[in-house]
Amino acid sequence: MPPAESAAAPAVEFAIQKRRVRFLGLTLDECIKLFFGGNAVVSIVVLTLITYFLFREGAGFFGQNRVNLQVYRQAGLEYVDYLRRQADDHTALTRYLADVRLRTVQHHTRTSGKSLEEANAALTEFDVYVERYSAAIDPLRTMVGELSEVASAIKTKFIVNEDKKEERRQLLAEGKMAEAARVAIDRVDFEAELRPIRAGFPAYRTLNRELSSTLTQLAGNIPALPVPELQQRMERFAVLSREYVGTFPEIERSLESWDHNAPISASQAFSSFLFGRQWLTASFWQDWYGIIPLLIGSLLVSLVALALAVPLGVGAAIYVNQIATPLEQKLIKPCIEFISAIPSVVLGFFGIAVLGQLLRNLSQSPALAWVPGFPYSERLNILTAGCLLALIAVPTIFTLAEDALNNVPRAFKEASFALGASRLQTTMRIIVPASLSGIISAVLLGLGRVIGETMVVLLCAGNRIAIPDFTQGFAFIVEPVHTMTGIIAQEMGEVVRGSIHYRALFVVGLVLFLLSLLINFGAQKIVRRYRISVG
Amino acid sequence: MSASLHPFRSHSQPARRIEGVIFWAFRLATYFVLACGLAVFANIFFKGGATVFQARAPFVNFTFLTEAPESLYVFEWQGRKVEMGDREFREFRERNPEAAKVKTESYVYSAGGIFPCIVGTVLLVIGSMAIALLLGVCAAIYLNEYARDGRFIRFVRLAILNLAGVPSIVFGLFGFGMFVIFFGWNVSLLAGWFTLAFMVLPVVITASEESLKAVPRGFREGSLALGATKWQTIRKNVLPYAMPGILTSSILGIARVAGETAPIMFTAAYVVRDKLPWDVERSLDFFFQGVMALPYHIYVVSSKIPQNEYTEKVQYGTAFVFLAIVALIATSSILLRSHLRNRYKW
Repeated sequence: MPPAESAAAPAVEFAIQKRRVRFLGLTLDECIKLFFGGNAVVSIVVLTLITYFLFREGAGFFGQNRVNLQVYRQAGLEYVDYLRRQADDHTALTRYLADVRLRTVQHHTRTSGKSLEEANAALTEFDVYVERYSAAIDPLRTMVGELSEVASAIKTKFIVNEDKKEERRQLLAEGKMAEAARVAIDRVDFEAELRPIRAGFPAYRTLNRELSSTLTQLAGNIPALPVPELQQRMERFAVLSREYVGTFPEIERSLESWDHNAPISASQAFSSFLFGRQWLTASFWQDWYGIIPLLIGSLLVSLVALALAVPLGVGAAIYVNQIATPLEQKLIKPCIEFISAIPSVVLGFFGIAVLGQLLRNLSQSPALAWVPGFPYSERLNILTAGCLLALIAVPTIFTLAEDALNNVPRAFKEASFALGASRLQTTMRIIVPASLSGIISAVLLGLGRVIGETMVVLLCAGNRIAIPDFTQGFAFIVEPVHTMTGIIAQEMGEVVRGSIHYRALFVVGLVLFLLSLLINFGAQKIVRRYRISVG
Repeated sequence: MSASLHPFRSHSQPARRIEGVIFWAFRLATYFVLACGLAVFANIFFKGGATVFQARAPFVNFTFLTEAPESLYVFEWQGRKVEMGDREFREFRERNPEAAKVKTESYVYSAGGIFPCIVGTVLLVIGSMAIALLLGVCAAIYLNEYARDGRFIRFVRLAILNLAGVPSIVFGLFGFGMFVIFFGWNVSLLAGWFTLAFMVLPVVITASEESLKAVPRGFREGSLALGATKWQTIRKNVLPYAMPGILTSSILGIARVAGETAPIMFTAAYVVRDKLPWDVERSLDFFFQGVMALPYHIYVVSSKIPQNEYTEKVQYGTAFVFLAIVALIATSSILLRSHLRNRYKW
């Protein structure tokens, strides 16, 4: 028995002694926790990086676009475009006349039973009128042609000079002073270069006066046409023609006050992108980067898709959740999940190979002639892409809407039945309204899925960069469009890194990114705001 | 007393009929969706099956599955239409010098097979899923085991939700801007891996968290009560039971990775590449090479070459192989999940 030892023992003795490993003052467990926490932060980091890199590559666009627009003005392209627009408006009026002529011929051959020659003979007077009307613009057209060349030459000269400056900068950066000095750069004096264009103004003024008097006189005595309906069209033409002539002084004034040195503000560069109605690249005249046609294309395709997918997806969700037998439930849910696994590029291929042709054939059947836009000839259009996108959106909408329906407390249903409501009443007046917020957010997420879809629209939307014609009502659904996602996928591979076009595509990507965040945010807000509380 | 006065009588007939009609409309909507899906599958499987399978033994068209794409030459020879691949045609011309004068039509990628694309897709999927699983499972462990509800965690969850909604083409742009240009990796496997991994990250995190949640609290409490540390508890008593669930749910993520085209368009995919991925001089080059991939190949053959009877074979064949792979992955995920549900009952 060693009492001395027991006295020397420490005052507190643990049964288990454990040495703690410490790294930088942290225990092992804390380190592990930190490691896992670091991984959790990755999603925030990725989101930040996406934002950063889209901005990094895209931000230069607005500066470059400002230069682009500045050159457009300085080289006189803007000046010429005033005149060109005037000439183009005239062409539109001539087209209107051609349309009236076609209708008249149709009237003669169908209703009056004349032969084609007779119909044409009856229109001799009309043809002379059209001839005179369209000939009136010829001097202006010639003038536009001449001025275009001058302006183009100025622009080319400027661009060549810019390239040379860049070359010299690179040479200087490499330290090759002698070579740099040899690169000849002559400053483009826009004032002097533009003088030939400006000098044409008095000639333009006389020309304009003649044009105006000719057109006014022509609008005053329109040829007589056989039917009141056609006559009405001609009178409408006279009104349009007078309105057109009425714009002349305005054009003259803007030409007179036009200043090639007027600065382009940053907001103009910004709004020409955000509200620009033209996306025109690699053009010999002037490039335009306006997102509106792409945005409208994306929205239209998505709306068509949602119009099809919402009834189907929500209907299927209601069916599976409320009406179907347990066996059906067990089978249908995985099947629809399976549809969501079909890769979008395969669906796009299906659209090109099968659906486009199928829908076009369908549209040509007389039984469906009442559908707006039918029959049509473009195989790839909004409708084709919309149908396929609907198939992509349905599983998303179905799954989320079914979840929402499932989350309605049983008590709601039981209470409704106890009060004597039928199954239909319970479903439509109790269950669906109670889960409406979930269903709406499901639809929103479906929209997000559809608007960001790339391959289907790239392959099946027709890829024509133009704002569809809305004047014919719903017929726009059979027009080809281009979309934001499609344009990035199509043009990204071909652009020069760092060019304005390249940056413009990144800005389109940024818009898409922000749009998707907005949709997501909206969906979450709706769910949280209108969540039903039980208790 | 007539039945109509009975206070608990059932609903009147018209109401019944309306109910029936509306329920049928819902049923119709459901089956219409299923029919559409089935139509796509059936079309691709029947037409593509004709390319991949054949009537004679060995019943599978191995040339299509194991060779690289070639150009197809179609010409008339001694009164018959002949179709030949590039190499075959060259040999044929050497044997028959007069064949050089024959007018031929050629279609790129329409002969040979799609082997490099299959290999590329498999490589892309394996690499990106490895990255995504590592990041995703760790993030899920933190969110489910360590984190206490607070502002930071809510922010993380918000980021995950928003990341799930970002369009795939934006991931493509991001991958291009960051990995291809900023890091200077060029069009490479590595760039594709990271781009795809970040894209499926939300799917993997959500799936993993659900599996972790399914492990009963008692497992953790029991372990902690016996004196195990938090990490020991997670390693021994949580992860082993959650792992099967994590893996099966993540398979759906794999299907998504395999199916996406837009993110790899500018980051990893080549239109055509002669060498197979393992033909590299230095082993490091393996990570910095672009590959051919099935989804991109489908895009190329369906948009860049005309549609006719000669090109149809390769188009449908590629779509078939791709769809079969994705469908296999998705089916196995769904089956495994229901199997797991029956296995663990707590």
